[in-house]
Amino acid sequence: MPVIEAKDIIKDFGAMRALDGVSLEVRKGDFFGFFGPNGAGKTTLLRILTGQLQPSSGSVRVLDTDAIEDPIGVKELVGIVPEVESPPTYLTGYEYLYFVGKVRKLGDLDDRIEKWLKFFDLESKGGVICKDLSKGMRQKLMIASAFIHDPQLVFMDEPFINLDPIYQKILREFLQDYVSSGGTVFMCSHILEISERLCNRLAIVDSGKVVAYGDKSELVKDGEGLEEFFLKSIGGGRKREPF
Amino acid sequence: MLKEEFRSHATYSGKERFLTFPVFVFFLATIVGLTLEKISETVSLEELATFAHLSAFIYGISVGAFGLMGRQYLERRYGRNNYLVTLPYLLPFSFRTAFLGIFLRDALFYVVLLLVPATCGLVAAIPVMGYSMVSILLFFVAVLVTFMMGLSLSFLASVLFIRSRALFLAITGAVAAVFLTHLVTGVPSLHTIIPPLEFQMSVRPFGDDTYAALTSIALAVVATVVMTCAACAAVSVRIETSSQMHRVLLPSYVSRVPLVKGMNLVLVAKELVDLRRSGTVAKMFFSLVLPLLFLSFAAWFINNGLAIPVGFNTVFYAAMVGFVGILMYNWLNNIDLSEYYSLIPVTVPQLIRVRVIVFLALTLGISAFFVIGISIINGDTELLWLALIVMFVTSLYMAALTAYLTGLKTNTFLFDTSVLAKFSVMSFLPDVCLTILSFSIQSDWITALTGILIVLFSMLLTTLILYRGIETKWSRFSFAT
Repeated sequence: MPVIEAKDIIKDFGAMRALDGVSLEVRKGDFFGFFGPNGAGKTTLLRILTGQLQPSSGSVRVLDTDAIEDPIGVKELVGIVPEVESPPTYLTGYEYLYFVGKVRKLGDLDDRIEKWLKFFDLESKGGVICKDLSKGMRQKLMIASAFIHDPQLVFMDEPFINLDPIYQKILREFLQDYVSSGGTVFMCSHILEISERLCNRLAIVDSGKVVAYGDKSELVKDGEGLEEFFLKSIGGGRKREPF
Repeated sequence: MLKEEFRSHATYSGKERFLTFPVFVFFLATIVGLTLEKISETVSLEELATFAHLSAFIYGISVGAFGLMGRQYLERRYGRNNYLVTLPYLLPFSFRTAFLGIFLRDALFYVVLLLVPATCGLVAAIPVMGYSMVSILLFFVAVLVTFMMGLSLSFLASVLFIRSRALFLAITGAVAAVFLTHLVTGVPSLHTIIPPLEFQMSVRPFGDDTYAALTSIALAVVATVVMTCAACAAVSVRIETSSQMHRVLLPSYVSRVPLVKGMNLVLVAKELVDLRRSGTVAKMFFSLVLPLLFLSFAAWFINNGLAIPVGFNTVFYAAMVGFVGILMYNWLNNIDLSEYYSLIPVTVPQLIRVRVIVFLALTLGISAFFVIGISIINGDTELLWLALIVMFVTSLYMAALTAYLTGLKTNTFLFDTSVLAKFSVMSFLPDVCLTILSFSIQSDWITALTGILIVLFSMLLTTLILYRGIETKWSRFSFAT
C-alpha cells in the first residue's frame, strides 16, 4: 500500500507552470529519491505533499490522509526537513526541540531532546539561540525536529547540504537504519553520490514534468551511475559555451 | 532598492492594488482641496499647515527608525529572499553606503507614495478652487523638508541607540526637552524647532519674507544633511556571531502562563520568549507610549495652542488609546520569520489568534495605566470606570479588526487599498462616534452614556464576528512563502 499517492499534480505560480501533471507513488519502506535540475519543481512538489502548499489541481494522499483537505493531519504524521534551515531565531536549540515536542504533544520530552542533542553532538550548544548557531548546527536541529516524534514517513529537502563529512556519514547510516526498521524517506537532493547509495526508488523531474520514475535497479543500468542516468534523463545536461 | 521595496509591498496585495494606494491618497487630497475653504472657516489655514508639518515630522520619525535594526536589518530576509541591503557582505561597498541607500530609498519611496500624490490631489483642486500653483508647490517643498528632518533625526537617533544607549537617551531627551519647554513656556516656537514651518509662514499664501524663507529652509536642509551624515558616520554593524549561552526559558514560561491551555499555551510562551530575547518589548513600549504622548500633545495643542475649546476628557483618551495600541500588534508580526511553522501542525489562524492574545496581554496594562494617569491629570476620575470599559472594548475591537484584515502581514496589507479602505472605515466610524459622544458627556450625560454603550455593544459584537472570521479567512493561507 502506498504511503504517498500523488495524482496529476499541477501547480501554477501566476503564468508559470511549476508542476505539470506529476503523478507518483511511494511505498512503505521506500527510500525514494526525487531529483531534478534547479527550478525543476522538486521543492514545490515536496511542499504540496506535506500540506505546506496547495496545488492548482490534482490529488494527494499521504499516510491515507488527504494533504489538500487536511494538511494539519499530514503534518501531525510526518517529519519535514526543509530546504532552508530556518529554526526560530530567538529559541535555543533545546527550546526549539521542546517547542516542537509540545506542539506535537509528546511525552517523555526531555529524554527525546537529550537523545537528539547527543546524537548530533549539540549538547554543549543547547543554550545558544538559533541565530547564533552555524548553518550546519541549524540543519542538525531541523533534522532532529523532524524525527523527534518518531514519524513513519519523513520528507527531506537537501538534508546533507550543510553537514560536514562526518555528519553526512552519521546521517546516512541513521537513515539506512530508519528505513530498514520500517520508516519511509522521500528525499530531494542534488548530491547524487550519497543518493545513489541510499535510494531504492526514484523519480526525475524536469521543467515540472516527471521524465523518469521507478525502481533504481530497473532504471539505472549496471555500470551506469545515477549521475549519468540523471543527465541522460534530462537531455544530456546543458551545453555551455566556454567563458 | 526602490524596486525591491515596491515588489516587497506588492507581493501580498498585488501590483495593481498596491498602486491604487497613491491613487487613494490623491483622491483624499483632492477632497481636502475642494473643501479647504469650508474647513478653514473653523480652523485657520495657518493651523492646518502647522498640523500638516507636525504630522510630516512625526511620520518622518516613524519611517527613519531602520538604523535601530542594525545587524538584523542587514541580514534581513523574507523566507528565501535576501534583500539587497545584505550586499556589503559580498560586494566591495561599505555598510555605510548600504545604510545611506536605505535612507534615500525610504525617503524617495514614501515621498512618491504619499507626499507626491497628496500634492497632486491639491493641484487637481486648482481649477475649481483657484488656488495658486506656486503656493501648493511651496507647501510641497516645505512639508518635504520637514519630513526629511524627521527622517534624518530618527535615523541618527536609532543609529546611536545601537552604538551607545547614553547617546541615544541624550539626543531623544534633548528633543523631548525642547518640545516640553515649548509646551510649557511657548519658547522656543514651533517655527524655530521645525524651520520649514517658518519657511512655510514666510511664503505665499501666508507671508512674503524672502530673507526669512531662505534662511529657514537653508537651516533645515543643513540640519537634515548634518544629521544624515552623522548617522551614516556612526552606523555600527556588529557582524560577529555571539556564542552567548542563554538560560532555558521556554519550559518555565509554559508552566507560568495563566489562563491559556492546550497548544496555544506553548505558542504564547514562545512569543513571550521571542519578545524578551529580541529586545522588542522596549521598542513596542516606545511605539505605544510615543503616539500616546503625541496624542496628549495634539490635544493640548488644539485646546491651548490653537485655542479651540474642545472638551477632551478621559473617555476620549481611552478611545484613542485603544486605537493607537494596534501599532504594537504590528511589532509582534515583525519579530521573526514564521516559515518554520509550516513544518509543524500549526495553522495560520491559530498563530494570528495567539498574537491577538499576546497583544492584549501586553497592551491592556500600559493602556489602563495611561488612562488612569490621564483621568487624574484631567481631574475627571468620576469618568474612569467608563473610560476603562471604553479602552478595553476598543483595544479588543482593534486587535480583532487588524488581525482579521491583515493576518500576520500587517505592514504589507495596510498598503493594499482595499484592506486600507476597510480598515479606515471600520476604525474611523466607531472612533468618530466615541469621540463625539465623549465630548457631549458634560452637556448631556444620559444621551452620551446611552450612545457610548450602544457603540461599545456594536463593537463587541463585531469583534466576536471578526475573531471567529479569522479561521475562515486565513485557513487556506500558508506560512511558507
